[in-house]
This record gives sequence, structure tokens and C-alpha cells, in this order.
Amino acid sequence: MHDIYAILTGPLAWLSFAVFLGGSLYRFISLYQLARKKDGAVFQYMDLKFALRSIAHWLTPFGAKNMRMNPAMTVVTFAFHIALFIAPLFVFAHVVLIEESFGIHWFTLPDSVADILSIIVVLSCVFFFARRIMRPEVKFLTTWVDIVILIIVAAPFATGVWVFHQWAGFPTMTLVHIFSGELMLAIIPFTKLFHMFLFPFTRGYIGSEFGGVRMAKDW
Amino acid sequence: MNTTVKQMILLFLISAGVLIPSFSFCDDYMNIDEEAFTKKQRPFVSFNHDEHNEMAGLEEDCALCHHMYEDGKLVEDESSEDMACSECHAKENDPKQMELAATYHKRCRECHVEKKQGPITCGACHKKVK
Repeated sequence: MHDIYAILTGPLAWLSFAVFLGGSLYRFISLYQLARKKDGAVFQYMDLKFALRSIAHWLTPFGAKNMRMNPAMTVVTFAFHIALFIAPLFVFAHVVLIEESFGIHWFTLPDSVADILSIIVVLSCVFFFARRIMRPEVKFLTTWVDIVILIIVAAPFATGVWVFHQWAGFPTMTLVHIFSGELMLAIIPFTKLFHMFLFPFTRGYIGSEFGGVRMAKDW
Repeated sequence: MNTTVKQMILLFLISAGVLIPSFSFCDDYMNIDEEAFTKKQRPFVSFNHDEHNEMAGLEEDCALCHHMYEDGKLVEDESSEDMACSECHAKENDPKQMELAATYHKRCRECHVEKKQGPITCGACHKKVK
């Protein structure tokens, strides 16, 4: 227990941050080079105005036509993404650990709020899973990797709720909590979770490509 | 004496027998620096000082925790049992006492990790009152 804890909170924590940052940098550079080599037209199509307009629409709840067509998905995905970032960054137990390691701290949420946000993340993952197996057009695109990613994303939050409420076996579950968080961070650069950084570029490109013309059936 | 009165007396004696030892048992436990934390976040840590030090073999080594610093330097052979940790480690105007909490966590956990003994996870010390 003590040895595993020491490894998880020591070398493995640093490793996961290094893989996350280093991997992200590598992916940025390699994707840029790939686009330059294979699809130079991307750079000519890029238009700041249309890019920013599309990004703004997609960052606004129900701001894009696609979101109005799928209201349930829109509500869940916004709740999910907001909770996903707010809960781990502002839960008291994490901020006090930052204070212990780096001597800085910031605003913290009441534990009950962090608890609810974490439950929202877990339930959202259940929704995404159901959507992946029930909607034919989504099922068609789903592979086992998508399901594994959903489990890895849900795991730190499910175990976080578990250890906060001190349900049976919570000391071991604390180790699973730490590990699953590190795992999630480390896989970001190499999975579709990388959309957290790529989103402005993919969205910006699509926005630039259609420009002022909507619903053009030019595919 | 009728049966009801006898039963009442018996019940009283049993509950006294259960409660009195548990009260005296509780006496050994202390809620460290409880007043310093005005806005409590987690169940308070109840700590049995003497039992802990006996198990950890620290009876002679008070200054390991009750240390004394002057001008940022550790004063050897000096200890601070008569002071509350919060006298030095608390920050004014912080109801959550983040820095004091961090100081406690580090003191306890670093030793437990090093000695490979004692609680290290959040809930193992901050036990929920059932």
C-alpha cells in the first residue's frame, strides 16, 4: 500500500504530466507537418473570421444547428465538459495537495458541489456509452477503443465519489483514483481526447471551409 | 420491586457499563488544533497521541513534531509541546486554513510513507462519523 502510494504520487505522477505535455507537443508538431505535406489546401482555406465565428457558435449552448437537432446530447455534453474541468481543478482535496507540493493554492468548491459535478461526469459517460451502442449512425463508428476511453474518463470521477463518501475499500480505491487520473492524463495526446487541444483547429477549419455558405451539398 | 423497575435498573447499569469506559477511552483522543479551523471541510482527525507515539517509538523524540524554528532555522534540542501548531503555521484571514492543513498533511503523511506504516489516504484519517 505505502510503496504503491509512493510510486503513484511520486515518479508516476511526474511521468503522466511529462507524457501529457511532451506527447501533446509531439502531436501538434507531427500533425502540423502532416497537414503541410499531405493537405496544404488546409492552410489556404483557413480564414480567421469564419474560424472564430464557428468556434464561438460551438462554444455556445445550442449555438450551432447540430446542437439544436440533438438537444439531449447538447445538454449532457456541456454539463459533462464543464464538470470535467471544474471538479478536479477546484475540489478542496486536490487544492490542498497542490499547496503541500508547490506552496500555492486557489479557490475551492464546497465538497457537496464537487461531489455533484463528479456524479454528473459519471452519468454523462453512461449517457455517451448508451448513445454509442444505441444510435445506429454512432454505433457504426464505434470501436472498442471508444468504450475503453469512456471508462478511463469516468474512472477518476467514479472513484473520487467513492473515496469521498468512504464506501467499502476506499483506501485501495484512493490508489485506483490516483492511477486512473494519471492514466487519463497520459492518454490524452494519443487518443481522440486530444480534441481538447485540436478542437479550435478542426472547428476553425470546418468553419473556414464552409465560410458563408451553409448546407452546400458539395461532398 | 416490580419487574419493570428491575428491568429499568438493569438497563441503566448496562448502558453505564458501556458508556463510562467509552467516555474514558475517548479522553485519550484529541482533535488537534480544532479551533484554528473555523471553516471545516472534512471530518476532524481524532488522534490518540500517546498510543501513536508508543507504537511509533517516539516517546523520547517530542521535537520530531513539536519542533522549534527561529529565524527560519531549526533549533536543536528545543521543543514546543506547550504551543499549538497553529501559533506558527496558521495564516490570518484564511477560514479554510489551507497552509495549516497542508502542514499537518505533510508532517503525518511523509513520515507514514517513509516508515511504511500508518494511514496515508484522505479518508483513513478524516473518518466519516457513522
